[in-house]
Amino acid sequence: MNLIVCIKQVPDPLYFDRITLDPVTKLVKREGVPLIMNPNDLNAVETALQIKDTYGGKITVLTMGPPQSMEVLEEALALGADEAILLSDRAFAGADAVATSYTLASAIKKFCEFDLILCGYETVDSGTRQVGPQLAEYLDIPHVTGVRSFKIENPEYLIAERRLENGYMKIEVTLPALIAVYNEANDPRIPTVSGIMNMASKSLKTYGLNEVGLISADVGLAGSPTQMAEMSEFKQNRRHEVFQGIPEEIVKQAIARLKELQAI
Amino acid sequence: MDFELSKEHKMLRKAVRLFAEKKVAPRALELDEKGEFPFDITEEMGRLGLIGLVNSGSYGGNGMGHLARMIVIEELSRVFPSLGVFFQAGNLLMFAIESFGNEDQRKKLLPGLCSGKTISAFAVTEASGGSDPTNMMTTAVRDGHGYTVNGRKTFITNAEVADYLGFLCRTEDKFSVFYVEKGTKGYEVTRREPRPGVRCLPVNELVFADCWLPKDNLIGQEGKGMNATLTTISTIGRTGAAGVALGAMQGAYDGALKFCKERIIYGKPITNLQAIQFALADMNTEIEATRWLCYLAAWMLDRGKSPREMAPEISRAKLHSVDMALKNCIRAQQLMGAYGQSPEYRVEIFLRDALELLTAGGTQEAMRVTIGRSITS
Repeated sequence: MNLIVCIKQVPDPLYFDRITLDPVTKLVKREGVPLIMNPNDLNAVETALQIKDTYGGKITVLTMGPPQSMEVLEEALALGADEAILLSDRAFAGADAVATSYTLASAIKKFCEFDLILCGYETVDSGTRQVGPQLAEYLDIPHVTGVRSFKIENPEYLIAERRLENGYMKIEVTLPALIAVYNEANDPRIPTVSGIMNMASKSLKTYGLNEVGLISADVGLAGSPTQMAEMSEFKQNRRHEVFQGIPEEIVKQAIARLKELQAI
Repeated sequence: MDFELSKEHKMLRKAVRLFAEKKVAPRALELDEKGEFPFDITEEMGRLGLIGLVNSGSYGGNGMGHLARMIVIEELSRVFPSLGVFFQAGNLLMFAIESFGNEDQRKKLLPGLCSGKTISAFAVTEASGGSDPTNMMTTAVRDGHGYTVNGRKTFITNAEVADYLGFLCRTEDKFSVFYVEKGTKGYEVTRREPRPGVRCLPVNELVFADCWLPKDNLIGQEGKGMNATLTTISTIGRTGAAGVALGAMQGAYDGALKFCKERIIYGKPITNLQAIQFALADMNTEIEATRWLCYLAAWMLDRGKSPREMAPEISRAKLHSVDMALKNCIRAQQLMGAYGQSPEYRVEIFLRDALELLTAGGTQEAMRVTIGRSITS
């Protein structure tokens, strides 16, 4: 099977408290915040690796971002992916979900053959959950989001379990298709030393606007139908109080205090 | 000069940190309390390729090198120093076999040891001490197509769980290295020493009583065992102890820093107090300085410097890292007050494990002798 996994480099949620907003430019300042592979994307990579372990095939990992995004591609190669593609060009900067999916879809059409595309269910930085479905629409293939498990019983289709709020839904999807993997799907593996040492010998190609065959008006900020009008910082004024004593008394004290603060 | 780690080394650190935090940290307290050898964890480390870092690919290792091994030991010890000691002791025979053994021995022993499916130990110390091996009483006497071994070794880490034990002994008026397999007649692990630290690894006494070993079990040439042993201990044992100490103090520092950020006194975290900041600044600086001494020794080994040539660098790394680990583990406990003594906060485990490093791979005094000789000769 030819598998494509779309991944993204994001700020590490453990350090989100270091992210600030520039009061003048209103841009997000991420200096000093470590970058990692989006956690749900790791589940997608793990799913692809499990499919490859069972059925064989080739895994291509794909990302769009600045040159430093290469780090997450290298991580995926160390985990066992076979080749990687970085879409990097100043023209791609500022893309919303539509422009991102359009760029990814254009690159996939131009450079890749595929039976199944895998994405993470959502990213920890923007969390729109739109890139997967939009990418499937651009490629004119079916998609399932929130996939927590699936079976491939026949090369023609897969049966996916899609997570719902109060249960799950079983869906049969014909291939080629796209699935957006939920974090319950698996426990991502840790790269082996041989995987790390072999990483450098695998193919990692970088393509820009011209190589993908796009024009700048259709990608990045220019190609984004949604634009950010305003960004403001939400201040949380949290405080804590400690009540001591036996549970019954603590509950009474807490209720009295919440009433005093007009919280209840 | 380039102080930047390679992409591969950075990725290795990240992978080992993930492994340590996910698979080791949740069990560290229990393993320490029960004194159980973590067979499943060492097998998993073998599967990940962490055990055979200084063994070549032809024998089941991956040859990533000494700096990689230092990083692995540091990261594991940052969470649970006992696991770092597993590498410090467990890699000794693996190195001796690859460097001084023959092809048959390499093919027989190394793939299993690199994969973590089998475990090894290495025995030098006897009741009369370890710093002066020329005092040793264990002998191997030629007997037909092999040797008959008699003697007793003490304070041998992992002997009880080892499938293979390497050991140094007298052969006539010189010294030789052999290995013995678990279950060989006349070889017995007789007792487990009670220890304050590294409690999940057994430290044993063992006895050879008319134990006959075939000539095939001789590692290297007869009479050349002292050089093989000292090279092995310096390259693997001392650098390993240095890495464990580095990781242990980093772990103690991390624990103390987190505690100080959360500890509120008079309405503010105690990290607002300059006295606390000064203590943390000193710890942070000493850890960084130690790290570069350790990395330098490992980096030089990777560049093919002989252990004899770089004995001062290795000794400095071991001496300084262990001294700093003890100092900073105590300092971490002081910063945490009575909580620092609680096993739940794990800083006390770091201190107990660091105490074991005073003798591991050679005493601190032996390190000073090596450095002293190099600067005065």
